[in-house]
Amino acid sequence: MQILEFLLLIFLVLSAVMAVRFDEELISIIFLSIFSLILTALYMLYKAADVALAEAVIGAGLNTAIFMSAISQIRHGDSD
Amino acid sequence: MINNLVFSILIFIGLYAIYIKRNMIKIVIGLSILESAVFFWVIATNDNGGKLPFYQVAQNGIEMIDALPQALTLTGIVIGASTTALLLTFIIELDKFTGTHNLDNLKGLDD
Amino acid sequence: MHKNFKKIAAVVVFILMGIAFYENFQLMPAYKGLGEGVSNYIIHNGLYDTGSLNLITAVLYDYRAFDSLGESTVIFGAVSGIVLILSRKMLPVSSRGLSFIVKRTLGIITPFIALFSIYVITHGHISPGGGFQGGVILASISIIFIVIYGSAFDYTMLSPDKKTFLETSGALTFLFIGFLGIALDGVFLNNLNIFNGKIGSLFSGGSIPIINIAIGLKVGAGLAIIFYSMIQKTLERSWVNHD
Repeated sequence: MQILEFLLLIFLVLSAVMAVRFDEELISIIFLSIFSLILTALYMLYKAADVALAEAVIGAGLNTAIFMSAISQIRHGDSD
Repeated sequence: MINNLVFSILIFIGLYAIYIKRNMIKIVIGLSILESAVFFWVIATNDNGGKLPFYQVAQNGIEMIDALPQALTLTGIVIGASTTALLLTFIIELDKFTGTHNLDNLKGLDD
Repeated sequence: MHKNFKKIAAVVVFILMGIAFYENFQLMPAYKGLGEGVSNYIIHNGLYDTGSLNLITAVLYDYRAFDSLGESTVIFGAVSGIVLILSRKMLPVSSRGLSFIVKRTLGIITPFIALFSIYVITHGHISPGGGFQGGVILASISIIFIVIYGSAFDYTMLSPDKKTFLETSGALTFLFIGFLGIALDGVFLNNLNIFNGKIGSLFSGGSIPIINIAIGLKVGAGLAIIFYSMIQKTLERSWVNHD
């Protein structure tokens, strides 16, 4: 379990770094969704079952949907 | 010790995105990462190798983990999602009104 | 040059702040275990006081039910703000929906998602779950209708007026249970003796299942209203079915 926790923590930090880097907003939102997914797996590893269920439905479901619907209404290309 | 290190790195990424980036969507993403970092630290510190706080899984109270931080984190996650939705509504309206969602083009006191 | 200097100075300050956080949290004393304090009381007396096997549900809906009331108010405030800014008076249609294969597949799957969400809401005191998680799953059914079938379908299924009625009825049920606690026992939001079956069965736990259902309706309807208000709508008259 130590190796799994260590790998998940490294991917957590990497996906957070990737989420703030790109100019095009669609890629950033996909990396935010990956961040939320890895955080759900980590919550389950620390034996918090209720919090993992809440983070799975809210972080990876509702947050991503609201971000996508906000991006489809703004002009693209206004970078950084 | 690894939990504290990951927590401080995620705080740095969140604050960097809030203060230095000029795209408004990046600012909202930075706020979301900052909130998730705090929830992660609250759950990760209270892990002492016990079992789930259920009376079907652990038969007596000694081998359970702490039940109070999980309730606070649950409340925090839902409030974070509501705040993000409200901020994105402001960005949509601002883009319809002025035609940009970049902080560099929004100078109102220039004339 | 001036802008680059400000950026580098800000990055240095944030790195120093991150190092300060790390050093400060390293100095915290080690975890003393569950021998004393509030957590000890909750773990040893939670089952006897509330009657629910899930201790997190016992904390959220019996010991700290007032905080759940505050969180419902935050969601209500966010919904009110979003509807105030983004509401329109015309009948809005977003699109005709996705292809036929997706519509057929989701037509078969969606009743099972609804059944799962009702299971998560009502079994909150026996298994992991509760009102908040199940409510968000209910809101995701509305998101599926809007994305895959078009927003006109969601408007005819459950119009925003009916969703507002569900949300306010959930909030008023919560407050009604609270004032019933004052009338019967003298304390706001006390645990009433409505469902007192055997510990571990479905009809146990005092007034916790009623609060679960009320919060599930409120959160689900509120988040569905938020997503319905935020999509891009046009007024294309040929896509609307007049009845």
